[in-house]
Amino acid sequence: MKKRRIAWIGALAAVAIAMTGCSSSGGNDGGADGGGTLTYLEPQTWNTLYPPAGGFYPNGGVLNQITDRVLYQNPETLELEPWIAEELPQVNADATEYTFTLREGVTYSDGTPLDAENVVKNFDLFGKGDSDRALSVSEAINNYDRGEAVDERTVKFFFTAPSPGFAQAVSTINSGLLSNATLDRTNEEFGPGNAAEIVGSGPFVIDDEKIGTELSLAAREDYDWAPPSLEHQGAPQIDGVDFIVAGEASVRVGTVTSGQADVARTIPAPDEAQFAADGLELIAASTNGVNNSLSFRFAHPLLQDIRVRQALIAGIDREEIVDTLFSESYPLATGILAKTALGYTDTSQNYVYDPDRAEQLLDEAGWAPGSDGIREKDGEKLVLTFNEALPQPRSKEVVTLIQEQLGEIGVGVELFAGDQAAQDAARLELDTIQVYHSMVGRADFDVIKSQFHSANRNALLNLDPATNELHDAELDALLAQIASVPTTEERQQASAAAQQHLADQAYVLPLFEEPQVFGLRSQVEGFKTESIGRPSFYEVTLQR
Amino acid sequence: MTRGAVLRRVGQAVLVLWLAYTGAYVLLAALPGDAVMARFGNPDLGLTPEQLEQIRASYGVDRPLVVRYFESIGAFLSGDLGYSVQSGAAVSDLLAEALPSTLTLAALALAGAVFLAVVIAFTAAYGKGEWLRRLFRNLPPLFVSVPVFWIGIVLIQVFSFQLGLIPVIGASEAQALILPALTLTIPIAAPLAQVFLRSIDEVREQPFVSVVKARGASTSWLLWRNVAPNALLPVLTMAGLLFGELVGGAIITEAVFGRTGIGSLTVQAVAHRDTPVLLAVVVIATVVYVTINLIVDLLYPVLDPRLRQARGGARPGGAAGAPDPAPAADPAAGEVSAPGEAPAPADPDPGAVPPARSTPDRHRPSGAQR
Repeated sequence: MKKRRIAWIGALAAVAIAMTGCSSSGGNDGGADGGGTLTYLEPQTWNTLYPPAGGFYPNGGVLNQITDRVLYQNPETLELEPWIAEELPQVNADATEYTFTLREGVTYSDGTPLDAENVVKNFDLFGKGDSDRALSVSEAINNYDRGEAVDERTVKFFFTAPSPGFAQAVSTINSGLLSNATLDRTNEEFGPGNAAEIVGSGPFVIDDEKIGTELSLAAREDYDWAPPSLEHQGAPQIDGVDFIVAGEASVRVGTVTSGQADVARTIPAPDEAQFAADGLELIAASTNGVNNSLSFRFAHPLLQDIRVRQALIAGIDREEIVDTLFSESYPLATGILAKTALGYTDTSQNYVYDPDRAEQLLDEAGWAPGSDGIREKDGEKLVLTFNEALPQPRSKEVVTLIQEQLGEIGVGVELFAGDQAAQDAARLELDTIQVYHSMVGRADFDVIKSQFHSANRNALLNLDPATNELHDAELDALLAQIASVPTTEERQQASAAAQQHLADQAYVLPLFEEPQVFGLRSQVEGFKTESIGRPSFYEVTLQR
Repeated sequence: MTRGAVLRRVGQAVLVLWLAYTGAYVLLAALPGDAVMARFGNPDLGLTPEQLEQIRASYGVDRPLVVRYFESIGAFLSGDLGYSVQSGAAVSDLLAEALPSTLTLAALALAGAVFLAVVIAFTAAYGKGEWLRRLFRNLPPLFVSVPVFWIGIVLIQVFSFQLGLIPVIGASEAQALILPALTLTIPIAAPLAQVFLRSIDEVREQPFVSVVKARGASTSWLLWRNVAPNALLPVLTMAGLLFGELVGGAIITEAVFGRTGIGSLTVQAVAHRDTPVLLAVVVIATVVYVTINLIVDLLYPVLDPRLRQARGGARPGGAAGAPDPAPAADPAAGEVSAPGEAPAPADPDPGAVPPARSTPDRHRPSGAQR
């Protein structure tokens, strides 16, 4: 009996030792011939590779490696530069016609040519969508009418109204070029399980996929059409990139700091200090768009009075939020747009913390403190519900801190709990969410329109979907102006006017400029992000 | 079992299955948002309400819930599991990818948990030294109160990041199983050890044990021949509950370790209101749960002579009747005892109330979803 038991235990121990003792192949040892495979950790898994849906970071992170764009937006200067187009487009006076001349010899990884016909096919889909296949319109493309292949290398696009943002739109991930066969796929066929069949012309090709957990990209050896302004040309210097989903932040951090992975996205602010160590680096890339901000939905009875909105702004201590919850990677916002965003105007004097003034404004507006410390008026309590912005960093903590701060001036705050699907549904209901916490990254003048216009994200619920009633027509007109005046100067002015209106009306409170924070090992050189902080592995080399 | 009893069992199983299916369907529908909103309602897509309406119509989710419910039941009965709304992948493909990995993890964890539970229980009961016994006695409550995800994170931190023994990234199949299996082992071992220990304590108090001792049985003889078989019954009763623990634990473990599996599939399905995927998981889990309980019920008479029916004798029906106390020969009684060893007593005291045991026709609340 005893002997048998000992034998069992011994066998178990032997198996355990054998399992741990296996030689581990980390999969990223740089071979003599290749540049090694880079391991990249993502907090979430991608859900579609249809480019117009690339706004979701995990999707965009993949699309940026496998697709090329007609133009290249320099992430430093935000200037547009040639890429698949040999030069910048010719645009007519009112920005309703664009003509591009394409590079020769560009091919997709399935061998088909990237020619004018194919580019037209791409934008006819992205600009118009196809509801039969549940494929949506790209948010970046406005007023699209049709495309025309003039000859093999010349493409013309026509618009029903001025579309000054189109040149920038063709440089975004949402306009990643796909092969003809790929463009015929349905929405489902762009989803998980189909990754290896999504064909682009980019420097990397998807060669393997484990649904929900891993994606392997291999370098394309015959790649030879990088943006001319880049120092590196030709094939990538690494063999490939392994995208691995690691939802748990501590696992992402530890995996990189222990040298098991090369790069991780979304390093929480409290963990940033760990990357100060030797051999590690932190990159905080600006998202160049609408800052992480609160939108006060002014159509709601509690928020109709501008004094209440001003009181909320004066009663929230943004510096405390940034100092307590975040790090230097998260600069305090000075306007609704990031400092580096196109069209940025400083409106920081509208966002001064002054709790005394906040109390005074609420008194003036007729909100008197009730028995429980929460202010009341005509028997109604001043209690507002905030959403939890799940994709944004530490949204719950931010709202909790605001709850504490506004409690001081007698305003109640509630947090709408729920997962992403619940949040997405609640976001359109004025009675459910009165203060909307969100941000948008996009390096174009149009980004502010995307966020606040009633026909786009409608963050302020300026248009109530339930009643179809537009509350502030002036705001909509100012925003529409940005996307319909042809010259840069005019767009600059239109954007400034819209920002001023948002600030004067106390519709928004920008909190901080939200970055994309990457932690990486110093061996990774040449890691860059594109204009809104998505990773770019094309120029990376691994020093081992 | 008579034919009637078998039919009643099958009927019960089908009823449980249907209730679980309906429950999952209704609960998922009650959550705010639906699969189409979850996929297309994201502000990143910037779709207008009209465009969303169009897409909803194309998926048919604008029709009444009842219609869709009966449709899905019909499809299920014809063996069509449908397609995931979230990814468009066939549900059968998703399951084929997820099941093996979860089964391997669960089997390993269960084996580990049984081993660990036995070690804890025996050490706590017969360990050398009062302090050791006390220490092990307090392990199960500790294990049960530690959150699973925390165990997982600590294991990763220590074994992978600090000691560098097991890579988290690029690990071989076997390596990738070690830490998750350990993580899942601990919460499952705890209730097992607790029940096992309790029943050892109770069996030790039985008069027959003193008799065996008096006849010169060694501690290990006593343990393996007398105490363990009698203590096994309540442990077996836990099997169904353990399966629930396994499913719940797998969900968290797979999330922490980023493994593909039924657990992570379930989490994704709920998050995206992906009805077809979730229902498939619920049905599978329910089938397994019902099957486990059926097997346990059938094993009872094999393990406990007091539960065996006299042939042709009427069986106490569906109500929780007292087990038939006709004493039969203990399986151990047939063994020839080696010289110098005491023969085992043939008979656990029939007068004593059987320790912590439910009757064969147990009615448990159904549904393995926790």
